[in-house]
Amino acid sequence: MRMTAAIAGGIFGLLGAAGQAFFHVIPPPAYGICIACHMRDMVNWVTAHISPIYGLKASGAMIIPGGPVSYNFPLLTIVGILIGAVIAASVNKEFKWKVMRVWWQKPWAEFFLGILVMISALTFGGCPVRTALKAVYLDITAIIGLIMIGVGVFVGCQVLRKLS
Amino acid sequence: MDLLPPIATIFLGLIMGYLGQRARMCFVGGMRDYYLVKDTYLIKGLFAFLVCALAGFILFQFVSPAIKTFPWFLDGGEVFAKKWAGMGVTASPSSLLPVPGDPITWSPKAWAHITLAIVGGFGLGFFSCIAGGCPFRQHIMAAEGSKSAIVYLVGFALGAIIFHRFVAPLIKAVLG
Repeated sequence: MRMTAAIAGGIFGLLGAAGQAFFHVIPPPAYGICIACHMRDMVNWVTAHISPIYGLKASGAMIIPGGPVSYNFPLLTIVGILIGAVIAASVNKEFKWKVMRVWWQKPWAEFFLGILVMISALTFGGCPVRTALKAVYLDITAIIGLIMIGVGVFVGCQVLRKLS
Repeated sequence: MDLLPPIATIFLGLIMGYLGQRARMCFVGGMRDYYLVKDTYLIKGLFAFLVCALAGFILFQFVSPAIKTFPWFLDGGEVFAKKWAGMGVTASPSSLLPVPGDPITWSPKAWAHITLAIVGGFGLGFFSCIAGGCPFRQHIMAAEGSKSAIVYLVGFALGAIIFHRFVAPLIKAVLG
């Protein structure tokens, strides 16, 4: 069967809900799938265990900013996604070293874009995937956020038209 | 120590990574393709995600106790009221308070959360569009061998530390 984006999106949606319902990925709610938050949890957990840069609580426990579910051991969605995508790419012979051609997608520019995307994502608590998940959890600020992502992409498209 | 969430999420991630690579799934890319070339292949994925996740939440709330706060704008206020009672803050819960996860989650000011949603959402859409895909798509592209996406992931991880070390205290000081 050919995998289309519509089928994949549907499966992701069910997995996101099932992650919270059956696999204890809570608290916070609507946390089943998130790229930015799970990356943040993993990075903060590792950094805090190497050197507690966020400080210590009065009880002596480390402060690890992020979802409470990741306090003892972080969620490993990112590792899973990378392994799964490498498997898919190598099985279907699509793995190839490459660099994007346009200057704003050269590695040095993507480094700063990565930082900016992460900061804006964490500002309202989620990457586009979790924003969609929060929006159907009927969180009104996430619905506003999803609409604003659409506005941001629209402005970004106008800039892309000017750049290219 | 509950090890179920990490083990479960690694398998969720495996499925997502495999299907995402096969389907070229991208959330921001769907909107971008629709605006630029009126292509609806990817945006169907976004709508399918919304519909299936909503169906999942509605169905699973009957079988799982973990979804007891499902219509968040109805039930979220109680969660906050309980938390505030423990912290000694007196404030009335509002239906506009978000699911926890943003930097001033436990602040009772609804307007601050809406400001953050507007600023963060706009920045997320704009920068993701310039970068050529949402964070999920960048992970897939990194696994496909794009050096740009690999460097993006390094910046992405560094951004988390910068955010919690410098930006979150700033946001708390300004909006508190």
